[in-house]
Amino acid sequence: MTNPIPRKKISLRRTLHNKLVHIARHPLLYLMLIPGLFFLCIYKFWPLYGLQMAFRKYSIYAGSNPMDSIAKSPWVGTKYFVKLFRSAQFSLVLKNTLIINGMKIIILFPVPIITAIMLNEIRSAMYKKVLQTTIYIPYFFSWVMIFGIFYSLLGSYGMLNTLIVKLGGTRIRFFTSTETFRGLLVFTEGWRETGYNAVIYLAAIVGIDTTLYEAAKVDGANKWQQIWHVTIPGILPTVVLMLILKVGHILDTGFEQVLIFYNPAVYDVGDVIQTYVYRLGLGKMDFSQATALGLFNSVVAFVLIVGANTLSHKTLHRSIW
Amino acid sequence: MSRKKNKNSIPLDFSEKLVLGLSNTILTIFALVAILPCLNLFSKSVSIGPAVTAGFVYFWPNGFQLETIEYVLAKTSFLTSLKNTLIITVAGTAISMFTTITTAYPLSKPDLSFRKLFTLLYVISMVFFGGIVPAYMVVHTLGILDTYWACILPFAIVQFNMFIVKNYFEGLPSEVMESSAIDGANDLRTLISIVLPMSVPVLATVALLYAVNYWNNYFHAMMYTNSTAMRTMQLYLYDIISNSQAFAENLFTTSYGGTMSVNVTTDGMVASAVGLSIIPIVLAYPFIQRYMVKGITVGSVKG
Repeated sequence: MTNPIPRKKISLRRTLHNKLVHIARHPLLYLMLIPGLFFLCIYKFWPLYGLQMAFRKYSIYAGSNPMDSIAKSPWVGTKYFVKLFRSAQFSLVLKNTLIINGMKIIILFPVPIITAIMLNEIRSAMYKKVLQTTIYIPYFFSWVMIFGIFYSLLGSYGMLNTLIVKLGGTRIRFFTSTETFRGLLVFTEGWRETGYNAVIYLAAIVGIDTTLYEAAKVDGANKWQQIWHVTIPGILPTVVLMLILKVGHILDTGFEQVLIFYNPAVYDVGDVIQTYVYRLGLGKMDFSQATALGLFNSVVAFVLIVGANTLSHKTLHRSIW
Repeated sequence: MSRKKNKNSIPLDFSEKLVLGLSNTILTIFALVAILPCLNLFSKSVSIGPAVTAGFVYFWPNGFQLETIEYVLAKTSFLTSLKNTLIITVAGTAISMFTTITTAYPLSKPDLSFRKLFTLLYVISMVFFGGIVPAYMVVHTLGILDTYWACILPFAIVQFNMFIVKNYFEGLPSEVMESSAIDGANDLRTLISIVLPMSVPVLATVALLYAVNYWNNYFHAMMYTNSTAMRTMQLYLYDIISNSQAFAENLFTTSYGGTMSVNVTTDGMVASAVGLSIIPIVLAYPFIQRYMVKGITVGSVKG
């Protein structure tokens, strides 16, 4: 038996040596890593360095280029955060973000689950394929295209308003009314995402052991009981994982949709954190203030995502990374 | 009824009939909700002008004309924006696939030195974002604002897609790669002639994810480009939809083929432009359908 301390030292040195040997033997593997790391550093990590703008009075012309200007701008501490947390606009956009994404989770979350369960019940393979394909296709449309489609359908002289007038109602301004705007966001989100999410649940349903259904049938379970006692418990881990992820991303989803759909008439109900960051930063050129709000958003989102992942790892032994 | 037939089709009990009926009905409604808005749009783009402005177009064209589509193709920047988007999508997907494969392959090797550290870098960048303003300043500093590069390079590697490919590579039988190494092939040779041919389905899926992302991207194009010559499809569409009133005034001041046509309406133009942009997606859909379903199930949940 040797003394454990030198042994540890030797093994440490040996690991390092082994690592270097591996690099020397497989130089191509390490060369391959370069392009990815290069883009990662420039487009993902360099912006992180830029976050200090939130603590400086940033002037874009202070240095020789916009990133150089960061170090040349004076520190102001937490001035922009104090200003931010005191502003009425901050609580408004935070509230809107939570309400809109909360509504989406509460109303839309069960829809693809039910859709997948129903798709699994369809007997005709061909009709099942037709249904699945049709429900799935809107996922590949961009938000601008969906905006165009619904603008055409729900606009003042769109088909729906023609029908409403025919039935004796008055025209509804879906895009500019504060009463309908959030509903419009939730509906179009469901329109786009239901098929995509249903495919995920359908894959989980297909993975359920078919002997469980046979056993349930032998025990005299009818279709409802089979769905309730076999299908739903079978997909429950996937359901919980998806729910955790959705809640984890409650602050940072739906930005592009809002940016495209909203207009000044509905800012009170539709303006979310990211759209406000965008208008503040690239519209009003209030770069430091916008970065401060962006940083707040990133930190909270980070905590939520890591928390959600840890939770799913602990409870379900599954994680996204 | 013969005995054999009876055996194969056991009569449905009440609960089975009810579930089947409900499923058929509700899903048919869902499918109609998904497809009818698109039919309305296509109908609008070829219906006669007066019917469009009056709102009398449902799911079938009211009259027929192609002047609106001709107008959109000839008199607006539809074709320029289509060209820009095609360039960005093709070049972007090629660059992204190169970076994704060259990163995923080394990271899939269990004995790669500092493997955990490299992987951690990608995970960190996935969960912590610099935000809109710092990202803009980076692109500004690089001097690539208002170029194709600004719309491509920020997506040169999407971590999520890279992890899908990496996980797939890890699942390949290591014996094949080892035997290739014994035969004297270096890592690049093994990647190209052994690993890539075995990974066609996952590569097709990820290439599609990238291509759809480039094709549909609105926000980055809006943030990083400003000239009309650089306008992408999504920016063009947004402009034509949100400025349809301004377009309307233009229609009356500029003549179309010498005389103004009653058929070219603003709503018709919006419908035609969006309808034209849907066509490439519909054409690519059989391919998308084939690889995407698999891709979602590979990528969504890691066991």
